[in-house]
Amino acid sequence: MKKIIFTVLGGLLLFSCTNGFDDVVDFTEVENPNLSEGSVVGVPNSSTIWLAGLERQTAIALNEILVLAELGSDNYVNTQTFFSQFLDDLVIVPTDPDMRDTQRQIQRLRELALFGLSTVGPGDPNYTADIEAEYNFYAGLSYLYSAMYFSALPAEPTGVPISSADHYQNAIASFDAALAISAKPEYHLGKARAYYYLGNQAQAVSSAQSALALGSDFDRVINFDESNGPSNIFENALYERATFDDLQPLPTLDFLDPKYSFLTPERDAPVHILKAEEAYLILAEANLADGNAGAAQTNMTGLLDVIATREVRTIDDSIEQRSEFEPATRPDSDDIVVNGRSGLVLDRQNGNVDVPSVSGTSLTAADVPSITADDAGLTLLYRTRQEVFIAEGIRFVDMGVKLIIDENEVLLNENISEGDAGTEPVIPSFIQAVIPDLDAINYVPGSGVATTTIDLNEILVANKTAPEVLPFH
Amino acid sequence: MKSKLTWMLTPLLVLCFSFSFAQEKTVSGNVTDETGLPLPGVSIVVVGTTNGTQTDFDGNYTINVSEGQVLRFSYLGQKSVDQTVGSGSTINVQMETDAQALEEVIVTGQGSGIERRKLSTTVDVLDEEDIDKLPANQIDQLLQATAPSAQIRLSSGQPGTASVIRTRGPISAATSSTPVVIVDGVRVDNLNSNPELGIATGGLQTSALADIPVESIERIEYIKGGAATTLYGADAANGVIQIITKKGRDGRASAFFESRLGVISATDDFLKYERTKEALFDTGFSQEFRVGINGGSEKFSYNFGGSLYKDDSFNLLNEQVRRTFTFGLTAKVSDKLRYQGSFSYVNFDSNLDYNANTSFSRFSAFEGGGRGNLDELTPEQWQSELDRSNAIGPLVDNTSSTNRFTASNKFIYDFSPNFQANFTIGVDNRNTVQEVLQSNAFQVAIGAVAEGTTDQGSLSRSLRSAFTVTSDLNFTHKANLDNFSFVTILGGQFFRTSDRQNQLNGSGGVDGTRSLNNFSEQTLADFVLENANYGLYFLENIGLWDVAFVELGGRFDRNTSAGDNTDALFLPKAGITYNLSSHDFWRDSNISNILSTVRLRANYGEATNFAQPFSQDRTFAQNPFLGAPSFTFANPGNNELISETVATTEFGAELGFFNDRLFLSGTRYVAITEDALFTPQSAPSSGQLNQIQNIGEVENKGWEFELRATPIQTEKHTLSFNASYNTNENRVTDAGGAPAFVVGGFTVLGSVVDEGQSLGFLRGTAAVLQDDGTYDFEFNSFLGDTFAPNFGSLGLNYRWGDFNFYANADYQWGGKITDLSFLLRHLRGVDNTGIPEELIGTTSPFNYTNFFVFDNDFLKVRTIGASYDFGPIAKGVFSNIRLGVTVSNPFNFTAGDFDPETTGSGISGQNGFASGGFAYGIESPPRIFMSSLKFEF
Repeated sequence: MKKIIFTVLGGLLLFSCTNGFDDVVDFTEVENPNLSEGSVVGVPNSSTIWLAGLERQTAIALNEILVLAELGSDNYVNTQTFFSQFLDDLVIVPTDPDMRDTQRQIQRLRELALFGLSTVGPGDPNYTADIEAEYNFYAGLSYLYSAMYFSALPAEPTGVPISSADHYQNAIASFDAALAISAKPEYHLGKARAYYYLGNQAQAVSSAQSALALGSDFDRVINFDESNGPSNIFENALYERATFDDLQPLPTLDFLDPKYSFLTPERDAPVHILKAEEAYLILAEANLADGNAGAAQTNMTGLLDVIATREVRTIDDSIEQRSEFEPATRPDSDDIVVNGRSGLVLDRQNGNVDVPSVSGTSLTAADVPSITADDAGLTLLYRTRQEVFIAEGIRFVDMGVKLIIDENEVLLNENISEGDAGTEPVIPSFIQAVIPDLDAINYVPGSGVATTTIDLNEILVANKTAPEVLPFH
Repeated sequence: MKSKLTWMLTPLLVLCFSFSFAQEKTVSGNVTDETGLPLPGVSIVVVGTTNGTQTDFDGNYTINVSEGQVLRFSYLGQKSVDQTVGSGSTINVQMETDAQALEEVIVTGQGSGIERRKLSTTVDVLDEEDIDKLPANQIDQLLQATAPSAQIRLSSGQPGTASVIRTRGPISAATSSTPVVIVDGVRVDNLNSNPELGIATGGLQTSALADIPVESIERIEYIKGGAATTLYGADAANGVIQIITKKGRDGRASAFFESRLGVISATDDFLKYERTKEALFDTGFSQEFRVGINGGSEKFSYNFGGSLYKDDSFNLLNEQVRRTFTFGLTAKVSDKLRYQGSFSYVNFDSNLDYNANTSFSRFSAFEGGGRGNLDELTPEQWQSELDRSNAIGPLVDNTSSTNRFTASNKFIYDFSPNFQANFTIGVDNRNTVQEVLQSNAFQVAIGAVAEGTTDQGSLSRSLRSAFTVTSDLNFTHKANLDNFSFVTILGGQFFRTSDRQNQLNGSGGVDGTRSLNNFSEQTLADFVLENANYGLYFLENIGLWDVAFVELGGRFDRNTSAGDNTDALFLPKAGITYNLSSHDFWRDSNISNILSTVRLRANYGEATNFAQPFSQDRTFAQNPFLGAPSFTFANPGNNELISETVATTEFGAELGFFNDRLFLSGTRYVAITEDALFTPQSAPSSGQLNQIQNIGEVENKGWEFELRATPIQTEKHTLSFNASYNTNENRVTDAGGAPAFVVGGFTVLGSVVDEGQSLGFLRGTAAVLQDDGTYDFEFNSFLGDTFAPNFGSLGLNYRWGDFNFYANADYQWGGKITDLSFLLRHLRGVDNTGIPEELIGTTSPFNYTNFFVFDNDFLKVRTIGASYDFGPIAKGVFSNIRLGVTVSNPFNFTAGDFDPETTGSGISGQNGFASGGFAYGIESPPRIFMSSLKFEF
């Protein structure tokens, strides 16, 4: 027995005297396998990787924005999903976690862009002017989205909320900073959009023209990573049928659905965030506002020319029913006439269908002369705007609706109190009046005829002088 | 299967029979206790040999032996007796009670164990006999309805399901309330939820508790949190389940072979639609074979146990197979040194169905209205649904396979009769592989891709390896002075856990393969948690006149999950217990005939939970994006992060009447979780992720009552029953200024943490009827506490000679739960039960969530069983044959018409908080009718 004790004691003594054996008997070291700041800041090429992170973050932000904006507009109705249960009815409440997540992701994009500009970029010996321009562009996007979707939002962590107009100005400043380094059409178009919603027609036109001068058919997209994420959530909602996804388009827009469909196992369909079409539409609207129908028609012809070059995907969409839950209760056949117009609805159960994946419209060259400098012309232009931008989150902004600051921000940010600007939703009265009808349709299966209960384009145009909509009027 | 098993068992049976010996002379006799009653099961061995026997049920024995040899009679609780064999052939023995041996010793991680009456805390104990008669194969199922002050809720009827376990309320918003599990002094993986990178099948949560072997268990101690677990430190605030396995006994070798056959029938009590049963359920069978060998001598004893189990479940899909063997031994190395070793291996394979929140789930689609109102479908429509379901079923391919090894080594060194050292070192290694294969055929059948698709198959494989090493060195010194006794314990404990997970995904595949190599797109993710914990502990137990005992102790605790700017924690404990009935005057007075036990106790103690490893560090993430790396902010970091500390004060009393045939125990506890770990929302404007912080305070207080009674105790009849009733009042007393945050469930109808409310209470928008007949929608309304504040269990045992009947049940009331299946049916327009007309179709159902929340009250009978011991009817072959029948989950009485326990979808993954406030889309545990036949050798 003593032998055993002495052997053990001797062994322990030996261990304690042998430095090299420390790691064999010391089990207290743990190593966090994740990246520390030192592995990111001051490392060659880190600015390029940071830039990829900005696009990824924009994809995440769009995943939040698009569901809310498209359901909140008349574009789509939510028939049975766990996507927002509130926005279809334009119920905008501070407790809605989608409110929180949308503003968090937009502001995370800002913080990431600013950290890139202040820290990651300058720390990288291989930092380039182009990357710096892109950092400014993404900062501009974050301000642009803050302005488009919120009436007021902080512009810094727990900062004082600033108005939508101020965010548009911040966006313009950031796009200008990008343009000072590198000229890209989307930087100009970002400015054009900001000026458009600010109602600054001259600057909007100028920026739109600058954008088209650099490229007549440019299309800046945000890509989605189907295999590693983030995948395009709105593509899940429109095309995949894995979860409770069943968003149904307004029958007048049926031929444009789904804008996003299966691409490859690696990549999901991109979202087109700044495309040349928008510049033509801004120019056309400005010309109509000036009473210059001829110029507007030229712009619209230019628009149709661009749209004609855009990809139309031929897809098998037979798994999509109208609706998923109650097939054939909504228009689902190509002989159905909607609001007196034919050719708007696709038959998805008999072979593949052609769906525009960038921009599509029911407007034809023959219709262009109808774009006159009156409400009818403006309505046609707005119908085209709705079609071109379906599933891109623009219609919601065109309706003049704004989301609100989340309750957590109100509680944690001492600069905000309930009742302050930004804590109450903005819904124009003429929208408020038709909320139940936004997605409503009249359709008797088998009748071959469907109508939408309202034509929101007409309502928008009828209220063109309201400050929330049609900014050039 | 059966023929294979026969071949495997044959060598074992041969081994068993080899323990028969031929001897020269036959001696027989009768063994009785002090009062002259026969003692069955007394071990009789011929000293110096392995020859031995046991007394039968009338205390009689027969043994072949040589003259001059010594027979040793031993029996638990009796002093051993040695008798030399003379010329006679009859030796009758009357044994004497060994008072010291009868005193129950609790292991409790406190050195060499300590007598129960010296402890100021309570411990629930399940002994071998209790365990043996229960049909369960999962440790949490064993404790369900048998641990008097624990609430154990199995979250589904799927194989390997997780449970929600709690004793003294939810103490933490950061972790599950699952206790630490220790097998022979070694911590084992107790992840009672899906791992971080587990497969996604909807709402099913799998559990590491499902593959802790339940064979060969000698004893389970359930130690509730607070002072009782202070010395365990680290994450023991939820209590400790301590499992002590069999190491064999000094005496004649014994063996058994047991066959269990069961019929598994779905619990259809909670179905909305009868047709769901028709589509999915199918009565199945279970088979289990167990063997055990136990024996040894004074110097060496051993125990072996093995089992094979298979069932095909209550539905058309699930199957599970379990293979285990365990081995334990005790060796007396020298007069002073003893060694105890144990080893177990478990293999657990199962396949899993989709359930709850995925449209791939047929069960939740049927029950949640996803296929319409099944009652209203025409026979043709229903046939079409059946055809669809039957086409999908065989294509569901979700599997889980676990291999687990646990080994413990304990060295006990007696420096002197009063001074002992214990050293334990052991490991637990649990490896799980789970796969979800979604073939093209499956996706076509379910309608997720178009007919004819052949290149969109996907395979997800989740690998998890959990490894724990534990070591503990402690010294126990006992001293007795005239009127004082001292037990001094000093020890150090170290354990390290590592949890390594990888998820490998392939997509864009054709059908016919399970190799990721064959998928056109491959991605992966990993997840690592590592934690090292070390602590020094001490305990002084001072006895005063052998009636009162004062305990003082504490633990210095440090772990690597704390922030850089923090120090080791000191966790104190103190307690006092006073055994009034141990006074001589009491024992000598007549009052002791009526009031046999009076014991008062009080204590204070602290125990901790630590945050998830690495959550203290500021980190960045590099995510693959479009084939290139991309950076982003990850964890914001918290240098001040420490474990949350639960400080518990408790007072209690035990009263025993009529020789403890009526026994009452009552405890009042108040437990305050200080520096509670909360992960509130960060301000959205910060753009940062949420960070766990020590900002909260949670209070739990309540009463625990237990009653055990033996109204009938005669030579032939024993009737006993037990009942427990517990209360718990839970409140977040301080949220540290954080806004309310969701810890489970769904976003607009969540399980929430908010100051002034219970942890994980249900919150949502309530529609409140106004005087004018309209409804107001009140956001963030309190909809109920998810944890039932009243709960307990009931048990009954009746023995008539060799016949034994038993039953147990448990109950709860006072909590609330959301019926998510109803919510879904309503969303889909097929069920408006109880919803005011004015609301239907006029606003989002999430604006009247109060109509989907119901009471979670229930009384469930968990087990009814009976057994009969035939005794040595086949003399020379079997010493006993026991026939048993049990039925599990026979009766359910619930407040609502859904099962308030099927709450998997409300459990957060990777050991997150589990409120159990959401019942949704998953089958209830089935009814199992089981027979067992046990042959003892």
